[in-house]
Amino acid sequence: MKLISNKHIGIGFRKDFSEELLDSDTLKPAFIELAPENWIGMGGYWKKQLDKAAEKYPITCHGLSLSIGSPDELDFDFLNKIKKFIKQYNVQIYSEHLSYAKCDNAHLYDLLPIPFKKDAVKHIVARIKQVQEILEMPLAIENVSYYTPVAAEMDEATFISEIVNESGCNLLLDVNNVYVNSFNHNYSAKEFINKLPLNKVSYIHMAGHEQISDTVIIDTHGQAVIEKVYELFEYTTALIKPVPVLLERDFNIPELEELQTELTRMETIVSKTWRKEHSLA
Amino acid sequence: MFLRLGERNIHLLKESTHIQQSRLASYCKTGIKPELIGVIEENLHHYRRLVFNIGVDTIETAYPITHSFLPSDVWNKLLHDFYAEHKCQTPQVWRMPLEFYEYCVEKNIQAQLNIPFLNDLLYFEWLELEIHTMDDIAYPQINIEGDILLNTIALNPEHKLIKLNYPVHIVAPTEMKDEAGDYFLLMYREKETGNIQFIDVSILYAYIIEQLQSGIRLQDILAEADSLFQINNFEQLKEHVLIFIDDLKKRNFILGFLN
Repeated sequence: MKLISNKHIGIGFRKDFSEELLDSDTLKPAFIELAPENWIGMGGYWKKQLDKAAEKYPITCHGLSLSIGSPDELDFDFLNKIKKFIKQYNVQIYSEHLSYAKCDNAHLYDLLPIPFKKDAVKHIVARIKQVQEILEMPLAIENVSYYTPVAAEMDEATFISEIVNESGCNLLLDVNNVYVNSFNHNYSAKEFINKLPLNKVSYIHMAGHEQISDTVIIDTHGQAVIEKVYELFEYTTALIKPVPVLLERDFNIPELEELQTELTRMETIVSKTWRKEHSLA
Repeated sequence: MFLRLGERNIHLLKESTHIQQSRLASYCKTGIKPELIGVIEENLHHYRRLVFNIGVDTIETAYPITHSFLPSDVWNKLLHDFYAEHKCQTPQVWRMPLEFYEYCVEKNIQAQLNIPFLNDLLYFEWLELEIHTMDDIAYPQINIEGDILLNTIALNPEHKLIKLNYPVHIVAPTEMKDEAGDYFLLMYREKETGNIQFIDVSILYAYIIEQLQSGIRLQDILAEADSLFQINNFEQLKEHVLIFIDDLKKRNFILGFLN
């Protein structure tokens, strides 16, 4: 098998395999991604592991609790802690979910679907601008998986596009989420991707999922990436400029060799696609 | 002109949108089905399940002893009530178990369940997690050599000395009898490994550690303790305490002497 150098593909940094990742070269990510919420204010053993990781890999941050679509006020204290963390670890990409995780002064720690409505677009656009102003860096916003729309007045692609275009933020395109949503809501994943502002894609997520019935897939991050998601990934990469790509694996963590196989496959795809683009340029 | 947004509250949602969001969030907390517009009814339960499971996993990981001790129906009801009634404040899910402990204290769950040591057990379990993960505290500059009685003793700064009403740190909950009293526990984080160490201490030794924390010299502490605890035998007290102090040095709780 031809060895390729991994330049684009990162891995979600999980405590479950941090030791093995840091103490061996079995897994060779180009970077690691972590949720700042899981590390801010943490000392002791885990702080040492984090510092070790930061010495070995570039870090990107993918937030969980910003709750950009919430009716509640943004948590400015926490946002400032994120800003400090980002500076401390020289984080070049900070992304968050296009969802809400806090409502009526209660955190829920999961991603709820925002009504696809015009007033929600305006609300989120203003808040993204505010976040970018405070952090002094662009925010990349992720298309989330959802199992039901709520009070939708427009389609998902329009909702995402208007927010990205009007706020000036970047798009974290989660290819698995597009696949999951296209299955759950019965639309064409490729047509959906074509409608997005692809010039704003700054980051890609890939992950596995679990089909629990004939009509529902749950975005679990607990399985290997399936063939159809790889196909969609290849389709997508041909439409965009080179960007970092992340493999999310949060549960049922396999041997690191298995994860490396997935990273290698993704790198093989992008190196083929993006080298061709480069040579045409 | 560029208008800076600063940290002011932005709220551009219509009331009707807010209501839909509130209803879905409330459903995730309580499990009581709401009236929502344009939803796929048969898929709604996934949100309740996913949200609730995150909370359950986090709390059960933080409180493994309490979880295995309480009957599952009691435990499940407690989690259900917590999620339904409490508004979690921390944006960091790993800190949320502290709010679960505080909820149990506030609602006096130990009286409701007739488990008088429940608060202590939860507190003990939380503290282990808290000390393991708490932000690093700078270690002082120390000298290895010094006079144990006359120089200021340097302690591992990453520690907590707590008082419990039940010996939950040494007696399994299933074995706990009517043992209400004053129990003292020293917990600290080892610098090199990050592991948590526990030392069960008497009220006298708890007093000595507390005084050492304040930077008082051991010689002065002993003099005070001799009269405070009505020992009236300074030499014998000194002999016992020096053995204890030596043990704390061996366990890397006493680091040396402050400069």
